[in-house]
Amino acid sequence: MKKLLTVLLASFMLLTACSSNTNNANQGEGNTPSGSNGSKQEITVWAWDKVFNIGAMEFAKKVYAEKNADLTVNLVENAQNDIIQRLNAGLNSGTTKSLPNIVLIEDYRAQSFLQAYPDAFFALDEFINPSDFADYKIGPTSFNGKQYGVPFDSGVAGLYVRTDYLQEAGYSVDDLQDITWDQYIEIGKAVKEKTGHDMLTQDPNDLGLIRMMIQSAGSWYLKEDGKTPYLKDNAALADALETYKKLMDAGIVKVISDWSQFVGAFNSGDVASIPTGNWITASVKAEAEQSGKWAIVPLPTLANTESSVHASNLGGSSWYVLNVDGKEAAAEFLKETFGSNADFYQTLVTEIGAIGTLKAAAEGEAYSAPDEFFGGQTTISDFASWTEQIPNVNYGMHTYAIEDIMVVEVQNYMNGADLQTVLGNAQTQAESQIR
Amino acid sequence: MRLKRIAEKLKYHNLFIKMFSITLVSIITVAVLTWFVMIRISEQVFMDTFSITNGKIMTQIQTSAEAMNYAVSMTASNANISGEIKRFLTRGQFTTIEALSSHYKVTQEMKRLQSTLASYPIAMVVIGNNGNRHATDTTFWPPTYKGLNEHFITEQTIQSPRKLHYHIDMSTLDGQQNEQAVIVASKAMYEQLSGEIYGVLYFAIKEAEFKKNYSGFTSEGNDVLLLNRSGIVVSSNVTSKLGTTEQELLDYAKQIEQQGEKYINVDWQGKQYLILSTYLPTYDLYLVNTIDKRVALSQMLDVKTLTLIIAAIVFISLIIVFIVSRRITRSLTLLARQMSRVTKRNFGNYIVVSGSNEIKEVGKAYNLMLDELNEYIAELLKSQKEQRNAELSALQMQINPHFLYNTLASVKILVQQGNKDKATATINALIELLQNTIGNASEMITVKQELVNLKNYVFINHVRYGEQIKVNYFIDEQCYDFAIPKLIIQPFIENAFFHAFRGQADGYIYVMISREGSNLVCEIVDDGVGFDMDWNESMPASKNSSHFFSGIGIRNVNDRLELLYGEGYGVQIHSSKGEGTRIKLLIPVSVSKEITKT
Repeated sequence: MKKLLTVLLASFMLLTACSSNTNNANQGEGNTPSGSNGSKQEITVWAWDKVFNIGAMEFAKKVYAEKNADLTVNLVENAQNDIIQRLNAGLNSGTTKSLPNIVLIEDYRAQSFLQAYPDAFFALDEFINPSDFADYKIGPTSFNGKQYGVPFDSGVAGLYVRTDYLQEAGYSVDDLQDITWDQYIEIGKAVKEKTGHDMLTQDPNDLGLIRMMIQSAGSWYLKEDGKTPYLKDNAALADALETYKKLMDAGIVKVISDWSQFVGAFNSGDVASIPTGNWITASVKAEAEQSGKWAIVPLPTLANTESSVHASNLGGSSWYVLNVDGKEAAAEFLKETFGSNADFYQTLVTEIGAIGTLKAAAEGEAYSAPDEFFGGQTTISDFASWTEQIPNVNYGMHTYAIEDIMVVEVQNYMNGADLQTVLGNAQTQAESQIR
Repeated sequence: MRLKRIAEKLKYHNLFIKMFSITLVSIITVAVLTWFVMIRISEQVFMDTFSITNGKIMTQIQTSAEAMNYAVSMTASNANISGEIKRFLTRGQFTTIEALSSHYKVTQEMKRLQSTLASYPIAMVVIGNNGNRHATDTTFWPPTYKGLNEHFITEQTIQSPRKLHYHIDMSTLDGQQNEQAVIVASKAMYEQLSGEIYGVLYFAIKEAEFKKNYSGFTSEGNDVLLLNRSGIVVSSNVTSKLGTTEQELLDYAKQIEQQGEKYINVDWQGKQYLILSTYLPTYDLYLVNTIDKRVALSQMLDVKTLTLIIAAIVFISLIIVFIVSRRITRSLTLLARQMSRVTKRNFGNYIVVSGSNEIKEVGKAYNLMLDELNEYIAELLKSQKEQRNAELSALQMQINPHFLYNTLASVKILVQQGNKDKATATINALIELLQNTIGNASEMITVKQELVNLKNYVFINHVRYGEQIKVNYFIDEQCYDFAIPKLIIQPFIENAFFHAFRGQADGYIYVMISREGSNLVCEIVDDGVGFDMDWNESMPASKNSSHFFSGIGIRNVNDRLELLYGEGYGVQIHSSKGEGTRIKLLIPVSVSKEITKT
């Protein structure tokens, strides 16, 4: 009887042990994926623009999967402002939990992050060679002699024009090669008159046009040290603002205030040209019906500024690795794709029209291929040749802080304030704010 | 044959089978009933708790959803009274500079308004009748402004301008994951006084963000859906259901609303569901909580483990029952088998006493009974033997009166003839014979005495019938003192005298007594006519009793010897016609002290 009791007890213990074991096993299984110890790794990437940046990342993911299938790349799309906010919040809080492994940062802002949080980013000198990339990209992406960013797209600017509208107004594409902004305004007036279409769109909150103009003259909101505001007495800026005012007064501008309207305007054929960065190519080509109606010409120059060239830059961004768990995997991922893979850049050019800044990539076939959408123009090689001419400026830490001031002051200038007063006010505000 | 044997075997296990099957059935029944009742009760309890907690959760969801709605409607009314926005949306003609200014101001105004919504990732879009528009964020909505004026959402809004409408934008659905789904709240912008509509304000929020209001409360089988009045799913943690029409659910929700109940139990999509619903008046949406009872229960109540434990308990108890009842019935079966082996006249089969106490007692009692039975039988046998013995010895004691008066008649004749000596000898022989038979009370006598008796008897017979038949004695000398039953040889001599020599003038009878090992062998051989052995009648019967000496005939000798000495002893007769008869008596050697004394 005693024996039986023991057996009974033992079997009960076994039973309960079994059931609790299975529970444990389940919990264990549940825990495994979250741990980063295994060979399987997961990294997160934050970027904006589904078609362009995210699209490029998707290709990078595909390319890398062939080399290392153990790495899972999560792409998170956010608005650029959201990314900036979240990144600031995360870096300020000091916890790295909410941060991604890789983040896309616009070149204009890069220094503000690198200088404010140098320890939060992972230096990539061991992974990439800065001299492999276009020189003007190194300034914004490096800090204290260390390379932090993997330069991605070139922001080389051009003037996208509707050849059919121009033709209607009596112009050919050749007429728009190497013109000044003043000539552009004249053409715009003709177009507006003949076709009823505006020449370009403008968002009063985005002074990209002015930035392109001053960079084409080798000038910027800040002096070369990247810290001192350079608004008052900045001849190039004054010329740019005057040109801007002329443009606005000409009645050839369609005023917009958001991205959708911007894209909508040229997709619906409301405007005849887009002076902007090459990254707009994908959005332009999204409206397939307009194939053959577009051409890209060099950016106009400032008529009264001698140093102004037919090349400038707008936007352009680079990939940064944050100093969090998984940084090596993330760096390795970037090295194998954006960091050195020239073939990969051919894919990017062909598939989404993203022009990289890896020098070796320019020698690839895809860069010299004609684009039927742009009437057979070899747009990529054109952009590449303009890239070489882009004057190198130091965007510094405060580009957007000054831009915010400028938006207000430009508004005042448009409403009739004196240019010098406006610039003087802006200078004062900038100096007090930046210090 | 086999079947029969199995049936035979089963017969003995009948008890066990009955006992075990009854316990088996009852244990399983009890287990199943317990299981069933337990599951049922806990189901009930879980369901009750579920409906209560989920009811509270619903209130919580409602509160947080309404907080959001409050922010949205506040922003909407602020936007409606904003002169800057109104100007932006109503003025017909702008110069570029004015347009720039207006756009800039609206941007600032919208930013200010949006700060009310700071805690929600909501994008605001405003469109005026004049075609002017602005969006605070266009990354997720609208996909394009094209067709927005003719959009279903816009049309609805214009129809009832004072209401804040919540919709799901169908164009953002991909029908599967619906990750890009956007919920749009819209309100018309109108003149406060005239009520004239000059624009539409949209609030776009990713459905993924909106459902954070409640997604923390959902779990597998416990889903939340927001349905509009047409039954379209505006938001749900089940993303695949977004934009689909759930007419049935809507009906349930309306039923709950009308009957004022908190929840109802329904069969929906072939499953048991507990459905809770609240009408969100500010949203004009039904907040529906569906709980798949089975899934919800399976999370709370591990039916599998429970079943396994019960099954294990049943299994173990069945093993115990099997072993115990097997042990009990085994001893019973054994007892029954042993008892059944006690057949007729065989009372020596004692039972091995084993098993439980009760069984032991029964076994002991049975053995005691057998003991007593055997004792009685032994006693009975003994008394019967004694009776027979007494009978036989009585017969032994008897002297046939015929023999007496025949002998006396012979003596009388001798006296008459004057043969005085012979008469005296005869009388002496008779006296000695009578003395030895009647006078000597003891049953056993020595061979010597028996020999004397025989000689006296033979002498008397010679006197009566003449001396044609001679009797010779060959006695081993060492045998003289051995004890034999009285008058055990005499009947055979008598028989030989009167039957063996029929039709013969003379003959011989030999009496031989010798020892063979532990046996005393007495042989009476004659050379008379003999007879064919007739086995039906082992001893020839004599009709004339006048010549008999005593009551004991040859017929009884065998009985007597067997009675005295047991089987293996007795009389053997060999005879055939014309060859005489040989009779052999087998008696164990014994020397009686009493006898030697006398």
